[in-house]
Amino acid sequence: MDLAQLLNGLAYGALLMILSSGLAMIYGLRGVMNFAHGALYMLGAYLAYEVTQRTSFWAALVLAPLLLAAVGAALELGVFRRLQHRSHIEVGLVMFGAALIIERTIVLIWGDDTLPVKAPSALDGTANVLGTDYPAYRLLIIGVAAVMAVALVLWLKRSRTGLHIRAASHDTETAKILGIDVDRVSLVVVALGAALAGLAGVLAAPYFSVQPGMGQSILIMVLIVVVAGGVGSIGGAMVAALALGLIQTAGNVWIPSVAVLVPYLVAIAVLLWRPSGLAGKRVA
Amino acid sequence: MSTTAEQVPSEVPATDPAALLAPAPVGSGLDRRTVLRGLGLAVVVLVVGLFVPDVISDPTNMGIATDGVVLGILALSIGFLAHRSGLISLGHTAFYGASAYGLAIATTSWDWSPMQAIVFAVLGGTVLGLVIGAFVVRTPGVSFLVLTLAIGQALHQLVVQDSVRETTGAYDGLAVTWGADDKVAGIAQADIGNAATFWPLAWVSLVVVLVVLWLVGRSRFGRVLEAIRENEERARFSGFNTYVPRLIAFTLSSAIASLAGALFALKASFVSPDTLSFVTAGDSLIAAIVGGFATLVGPLVGGVVYIYAQSELSDSGNLQLFTGIALVVAVVFLRGGIVGAVTDGGRKLRTIVQTRKGAGR
Amino acid sequence: MSTALQATGVTLRYGAVTAVSDVDISVAPGILHGVIGPNGAGKSSFMDALSGRRKLSAGTVKLGGQDITRRSVTWRRRNGMARSFQKTSVFGAMTVRTQLDMVARKTGEDDLDGIVDALSLRPYLDEVCSSIAYGHQRRVDIAMALLGRPTVVLLDEPGAGLSVEESAQMFDHIRALCTDRDVAVVLVEHDVEGVFRVCDEITVLNLGAVLASGTPAEVRAHPDVIEAYLGSEA
Repeated sequence: MDLAQLLNGLAYGALLMILSSGLAMIYGLRGVMNFAHGALYMLGAYLAYEVTQRTSFWAALVLAPLLLAAVGAALELGVFRRLQHRSHIEVGLVMFGAALIIERTIVLIWGDDTLPVKAPSALDGTANVLGTDYPAYRLLIIGVAAVMAVALVLWLKRSRTGLHIRAASHDTETAKILGIDVDRVSLVVVALGAALAGLAGVLAAPYFSVQPGMGQSILIMVLIVVVAGGVGSIGGAMVAALALGLIQTAGNVWIPSVAVLVPYLVAIAVLLWRPSGLAGKRVA
Repeated sequence: MSTTAEQVPSEVPATDPAALLAPAPVGSGLDRRTVLRGLGLAVVVLVVGLFVPDVISDPTNMGIATDGVVLGILALSIGFLAHRSGLISLGHTAFYGASAYGLAIATTSWDWSPMQAIVFAVLGGTVLGLVIGAFVVRTPGVSFLVLTLAIGQALHQLVVQDSVRETTGAYDGLAVTWGADDKVAGIAQADIGNAATFWPLAWVSLVVVLVVLWLVGRSRFGRVLEAIRENEERARFSGFNTYVPRLIAFTLSSAIASLAGALFALKASFVSPDTLSFVTAGDSLIAAIVGGFATLVGPLVGGVVYIYAQSELSDSGNLQLFTGIALVVAVVFLRGGIVGAVTDGGRKLRTIVQTRKGAGR
Repeated sequence: MSTALQATGVTLRYGAVTAVSDVDISVAPGILHGVIGPNGAGKSSFMDALSGRRKLSAGTVKLGGQDITRRSVTWRRRNGMARSFQKTSVFGAMTVRTQLDMVARKTGEDDLDGIVDALSLRPYLDEVCSSIAYGHQRRVDIAMALLGRPTVVLLDEPGAGLSVEESAQMFDHIRALCTDRDVAVVLVEHDVEGVFRVCDEITVLNLGAVLASGTPAEVRAHPDVIEAYLGSEA
C-alpha cells in the first residue's frame, strides 16, 4: 500500500469519523439509533451543491452545517423530545421513516441525476506529501476531521456543556436530579450531531458523487462503525471509523475481489466477539 | 391435567389445585378443542381462498394479490420474530435472497426439478438461519438490528462480485428455467408468471404459514418466548434456558422467509440482487410494522398494501416517500399497525354499542 | 446439622472496589437467615454473588453439599436455588395466572394454590401483572421464587417499596413459608426491626465484610453492631 492509498483510506475514514461521532453522541444521550443520519449527510451534500452554485464552496462549508443544525433542532423538538417515553427501537424506526421521507424529498427538489460539486480552485491541484503528489482537497477532509475530533473531545472534557452531556449520557435520571436540563443538553447534542452530518456531506460532495443513493450506502457503514466501536462511545466510534477506512482501503489494495465484503466481515467479527462493541457504553 | 376449557376460578374447590390454575386465558397452551376449531377455520379459509382468481378477474389486481401474499409471507417471518422474541431484523433478506438464489441455481445450473429445488432452497435458507441465529440471537437490541443488517449486506455484496458471475450472474441476476416437462403444483414454466395460475401455490403456502405461526403463538413454547422477551433475566432465574427458544424462533422465522424467497423466484422466473438489498430488508420490515406484527394477519396486510402502493406509485417514484410516511404514522399514531387499529376500533365500537343498549333498557 | 446453603470466602470486586469481602454463610433447611447492614454494606452484591448473577472474584458456593460456584443461574434454579429481586422482576405483560402457571410447570410445583393463598394473590390471578399494585407484583416475584420447592430461596429486600403494614405482613408470609416448606431462606433486608422479629439467624455486613453473625439476641448484644450499625441508624 503506497502513501496515496493510505491517505485515501484516511480521507474516507475521516468522513466516517465526522458522521459517526455525531451519531454516537445522539445515541449516547437519547439511546436512539438515528437512522436518518445518512439522509442528513445527503442533505448536506445537496445543500453544498446549491450553495456552491450560487456563491462558493467555502460558503457552503459554513452554511450547510448551520442549516443542518436547524434541521437537527427540529428533529429533537418534533421527534426525540416528543417520543422520549417510547421505546428506543420505536424512535429509531421513526427516524428510519424520516430518512425515507427526507431522501425522497431531496430527489423531488434536485432530481435523480448525479450532481457535480467542484472543489474550490485553491485546492484543485495536488500537494506534495512526503514526495507523493496527492489531491489537495482530500487533505482538507483529513484536516477538517482532525480539527473536529480534537475540538469535540476537548469541548466534551473541558466545557460545562460538555460535562453536562457526559453526565446525561452516563445516567439520564441522575443528571436530572442534579439539576441538569437534559432536554436542553439534548437539543445541543442533536443539533450538533446533525450539523456534523451536514459537514461530512459538504466535504464529501466534491470527493464522491452527489446522488440519490449516497445517504443509504454511507448509513450502513456508519451504523456498523458506531455499533462496532461500542454504541454511545464517541472515542470508540472515532477509532472504529478510521480503522474501517483504512481496512477497506487495505482490502482494495491487497484483496480487491472481496474488498467490499471486508467492512461487513470485520463488523460481524467484532460484534460476535464483543456484542456491546469495542468500547462498551461510554462517552468520549 | 384436566382438559376442560371453561374455567371459573372462584367456583373450583381448593382441593383440586391442578384444575384451578391450569387453563390460563392468555397464551394458555392449547387444548384440543381450540386446536380443532383453529384448524377447521384454516381449512375453510384455505378452500374459500382458492376461489380468489374467480372473483378477481383483472390480471393486474390478481398480480398484486399474488405478489402481496409472497411479500406478506416474508413480512410474517419478520413480524413473528419481532413480536415473539422482540428481535427486530434488518437482515431477513439473507434467507429470502439465499433461498431465491438457491432455487435459481438448482433449477437453471443443476437442472433439478422445481419441486426438488424448492425443498433445497427452503432447507438451505433454514440451515443458514440456524447457523447465523446460533451467533446472533445473543446480541441485544440495536446491535442485533445492525448485525443482521451487516450480514444481509455482506451477502448482497457477495453475489454481485464479478468473481462469482458464473454462479450468481452478479448485477445481471439469474433466470429461473426448468425442463419443459417438469411441473410444480401442476404448473409448467410457461404458465408460472400468470398470477391466477400461481395463486393456489402462494395461497396454500400462506395458510400453512399462518397455521404454524398461530399454533406456535398459542403453545407453551410461545408462552416461554413471550416470557423471555418480557424479562430475559427473570426467565433464566425461573429455570428457563433462554438461548435455545430464541434460536428456534429465529430458525423458524428464517424458514418462512426462505419459503417466501423460493415463491418469489418461482413466480418471477428471475432472481436479482434486489432480493438481498437494503431496500428490500427495510421495506419488508416496514410492511410488518405498518400492517401490525402483534396480530396474526397484520404483516400479511402490510405486504399486500405495500405491493398495491408499489403498483400505484411506481410511475411517480414516490413509493419511498409514502413508505416513510406510513412507517412514521404507524409507529407514532397507530400503535399496532393497520390491523391493530382496526381491531381496536372494532372493540371500541362494540363497547359503545353495548353501552347504548344498556342505557336504552 | 445439615446445611442447604454453604458459602465460604465469598468475594466480589468491581475493578478496584471490593463490594463483598470474604463472607461466609451457612443456612440449614427451615431456617430464616437475615442479612442486614447499612446502605452500601454490600448486601445486594452478596445476593448477586450467591445467586450466580455475578461471577465471584473468590470463594465457593455449595448447594446441598455440591459446589455450584460455576453453575449458570438456569442450572441453579432447576437444582433448587431460587431468588427474588429488589427491583421487582416479573413478566409484566402476562397475567399473574399465566406466569405462575408457566413457572410452576417448569419447576414441577405440586401446590400452586398453596403458594397463591399463602401470598394472598388469588384476587389478582387474571390481572395483567404490570397493572397491579407494586406490593402485589412484589408478591408475584416472591411466589415465582418459591415455586417447585427449591431448597434455598434468596429474597432481596422483599419489604422495599412497601408500606409498614404490607412489609410486616410480607415478613409473616415469609416466616410461615420458610417453616412450612422446610426451605432455607436468606433474607437480605433494609428493615432491621422486621429481620430481628422473624429471623432465626442474622449476619450483619458492613463495608462488604461480616461484622457479626448469630442469633438475633447475640447480634443485638454485639457491641460492634450497636456502635456501627444500630447506634447510627436506629
